[in-house]
Amino acid sequence: MTSHLEPVPGPLGGRHPRIDAAAKVTGSTRYVADLALPGMLHAALATATVASARVLGVDTAAARAHADVVAVLTAADVPANSIGVIFGDQPLLVTDRVRMVGDRFALVAARTAEAAWTAARLVGASLEELPGVFDPVAAVADDAPLVNGASNVFRTFHVQRGDTAKQAKRAAVVVEAEYRVGGQDHAYLEPQGCLAIPEGRERITIVASCQCPFYIQQGVASVLGLPLAAVRVEQAPTGGGFGGKEDYPTEPAACAALLAWHTGHPVRLIYPRELDLQATTKRHAMVVRHRWGADRAGRLRFAEVETFMDAGAYVGLSTVVAERANVSAIGPYHVGAVRVATHVVYTNNLFGGAFRGFGAPQVTWAAEATMDKLATRLGMDPVELRRVNVLDDTRRTICTGQRLRTPVLAREVLDRAVELAGWDGFRAAPPAADGAWRHGMGVSLVLYGCNLHWGGQRLDRSSAVVILQADGSVVVRVGLTEMGQGNLTACQTVAAAALGVDPSQVQVWQPDTTTVADSGPTVASRGSLMSGRAILDAVRRLRVRLDPVAAELLGCRPGEVELAGGFARVAGSPERAVAMQAVAKEMSARRIETIATGWHRTKARRFDPATGQGAPYEFYAMACHVARVAVDPGLGIVRVEEVTAAHDVGRVLHRDALEGQIHGGVVQGMGWGVSEELRLDRGRLVNPNFTDYVIPTSADAPRITIALVESDSEAGPCGAKGIGEPSFIPTAAAVRNAVCDALGVEVDTLPLTPPRLVEALGERHPFAWVVEAATRPATEHEPATVGPRA
Amino acid sequence: MARKPRDNEHTCPHGVSRRGFLGSLGAGAVAAATLGRPGETAPPEVADAVEPSKVTLLVNGRRHRLLVEPRWTLLHVLRERLGLTGSKPGCERGECGACTVLIDGVPRYACLTLALEAEGHEVTTIEGLMRGEELGPTQQAFAAEDAFQCGYCTPGQIMAAEGLLRAKPAPTVAEIRLGMSGNLCRCGAYPHIVKAVRRAAEARKGGGR
Ligand code: FES
Ligand code: FES
Repeated sequence: MTSHLEPVPGPLGGRHPRIDAAAKVTGSTRYVADLALPGMLHAALATATVASARVLGVDTAAARAHADVVAVLTAADVPANSIGVIFGDQPLLVTDRVRMVGDRFALVAARTAEAAWTAARLVGASLEELPGVFDPVAAVADDAPLVNGASNVFRTFHVQRGDTAKQAKRAAVVVEAEYRVGGQDHAYLEPQGCLAIPEGRERITIVASCQCPFYIQQGVASVLGLPLAAVRVEQAPTGGGFGGKEDYPTEPAACAALLAWHTGHPVRLIYPRELDLQATTKRHAMVVRHRWGADRAGRLRFAEVETFMDAGAYVGLSTVVAERANVSAIGPYHVGAVRVATHVVYTNNLFGGAFRGFGAPQVTWAAEATMDKLATRLGMDPVELRRVNVLDDTRRTICTGQRLRTPVLAREVLDRAVELAGWDGFRAAPPAADGAWRHGMGVSLVLYGCNLHWGGQRLDRSSAVVILQADGSVVVRVGLTEMGQGNLTACQTVAAAALGVDPSQVQVWQPDTTTVADSGPTVASRGSLMSGRAILDAVRRLRVRLDPVAAELLGCRPGEVELAGGFARVAGSPERAVAMQAVAKEMSARRIETIATGWHRTKARRFDPATGQGAPYEFYAMACHVARVAVDPGLGIVRVEEVTAAHDVGRVLHRDALEGQIHGGVVQGMGWGVSEELRLDRGRLVNPNFTDYVIPTSADAPRITIALVESDSEAGPCGAKGIGEPSFIPTAAAVRNAVCDALGVEVDTLPLTPPRLVEALGERHPFAWVVEAATRPATEHEPATVGPRA
Repeated sequence: MARKPRDNEHTCPHGVSRRGFLGSLGAGAVAAATLGRPGETAPPEVADAVEPSKVTLLVNGRRHRLLVEPRWTLLHVLRERLGLTGSKPGCERGECGACTVLIDGVPRYACLTLALEAEGHEVTTIEGLMRGEELGPTQQAFAAEDAFQCGYCTPGQIMAAEGLLRAKPAPTVAEIRLGMSGNLCRCGAYPHIVKAVRRAAEARKGGGR
């Protein structure tokens, strides 16, 4: 096994301060709300507060009459009124029909933000309410109201492998379950925002808080009817994304762009938090049905999964999310026969979009719950059952029939996490209840495909530019974005390592669509590896011109030049060296081109969407989390005390940033699993604020213990694999299993809020006897003493 | 908005009432949110009281004389009038901590403080923590411990840490976790933030301010 590698010398795998550290701790990073231009107007949106209605008319007179208002636009003012990322099922401004809360009637530009939002509230829409449908299972019924098009089932994805009926006969135990897995809001701390700067009627610049400047470029170009080259999108420093700034920011950008185009002024649009929570995309709520069977020895014989994914009123990225949910439904386990169906279903709920994990967390939560149920029925330890089934180097075919490249480290991460968490000791002698608190431990694994799914592989490429400055410092531009995950720093690290210079010599600037070619979205934990590979390619091309110059200065052949420690030197005789500054100066003096571009694309793969067989992803990362919790059964309160996270990361690029990703994934995963509930009432969020939508604070965050399993693989640059999503996916499932362990009941609905836990405890709730005594028929005469059941 | 009678709302004759839905927006309107829940009409005398008043604010050791509308928040004035954009709006209703500043050395949400209330008090923002060209000890500790990701919560976190350490120079881990719990970090940088606060406490012991 190739784990426990020695750290590589140089910046790789180290902890040098991030490229943006000084700016961020001094408050001098300019997020989009911190940017203003002379003459700039402020935008606001008039939006629907009901989920399903016919629009009879939109009256903008009162809004226009407001003293500070400069423009009010409705659908009639939009050159091409469609905004869907993939499918054209969403209008930018609605005309005849409201399908979800947050649908836009009108856009307002005014001299102050306050005036803009005040005027937006004066826009009157006459509506005739229509029936809506708010549950993805109810939405597939024949008589359900249609949301958007001829059928509420927009698409179904499948995985079919082996004969489940035949394998079912060999199963000694079968678990059937229905899981209701709730959605989640991204709750990035910086709300959605952008600034649109028009240049006459020729072209436009958008500065946006976003993950995918190229999506915005396409969306704005199509809404305004401009060529792509006339739309320049610059990513502003972005205050968190988590998927919420992948697809959605195209909508506010198009709104601001329209107003800028109409008024000729720069226009800034910043979402108030309440609107951000109420109107932006969410993690998809899913209903996941399982029928899984195992034989006496615990070997999984078959698995059937049917998932209803609540897409909301517009498809957005839901089909792509469904593709990942579909092939992730079984996890890193070997199963003889598999049948998966994943339905993308329209409802009148808030629409689903990209969110860290991208459909995998929900199905993983279900799969790991079923694994624990099977273990209980078989009388096996949950870890033991996983060991019997987990993939490894000898058994490495996943449910799509793809044989994984070695090393397959699922067993390794399981063993490491379990050992570090003290699983065996905990099981042998569980801690006694302390006061009301009862303790439990749970485990969860994940198999994560580290690129875009086969269905999106046309987008899976990446561009980079490297410029060697005359003083030896280096400018790097990439097409993938920084949103806190550390992409700028990872790129800096890779470029520094490849050029053999100190990271402080390398400046990586924010992406801008005019400096690099379309690099696809910054999603799927692909940022560092895709940009990194493109940078390596650019450095390789730069060296075609650099090495001969260095060779001349060194008096050697170009093939002998190596770059290290800030020098170009002769391989094998490091004393013959010349500083990179000198090489750069010489190249500049001789007018040799010092700019190089780089490109990377993933390998083409084969996959059959009808059967779900083939290679959906190029390579995979494994992870295992073990959660230790304390639960107060009387109040239903969960305290997550420790999460032990073992990750198969390939090679570490930047240790602090990597750990930070794991911390963040665990904390956010815990929030999703325990406290973050999107309370929807007929499609409308009734808790659109941080008092009622509860995200974890520093006082809630568990102790997080990390084990990194490093290996050399053919993954990303210098062997790195994505970490952003694998760090999130297993946490909630491990917490669920730990809570069930503590309480001795099964809870199949996420999140595990206090009312849910109290309900799940039913008769086993410590105060159930009170309810029972109070509701017992009066005729029954019992002894006068009442007390808790034994 | 959740409290409005639902039927009434769905049958509102002239379209749907949006009152409250967009209630707490824009810098100025925030003051209304502090006075009552969105959806409740603000008392008329507040709505009318838009006459600007002269105030003198002491921010980061400098005196600023300004005309300020009574309902303007300190956050609005810092950002939009004084150009001090280090303090961030995250929710503008006292729920996230991104706007945290020190008032007389005590952490306060600038979005829940009216600019007028700050008169006569010493206001410190993230911009005021620098020592000339150098980072202050708490800033240094946050950079050294990688106690941020996207950085949007970071100015607020640093101000909260600064306030915590001024009140309690040697906090325990439990006290740090609790003391910092008024500042959300959605990136979940909490483990590094706790380390940074401990480091800052050490640094201050050794002669930091
Ligand atoms: S902006 Fe002040 S607490 Fe959130
Ligand atoms: S660093 Fe992103 S919210 Fe804290």
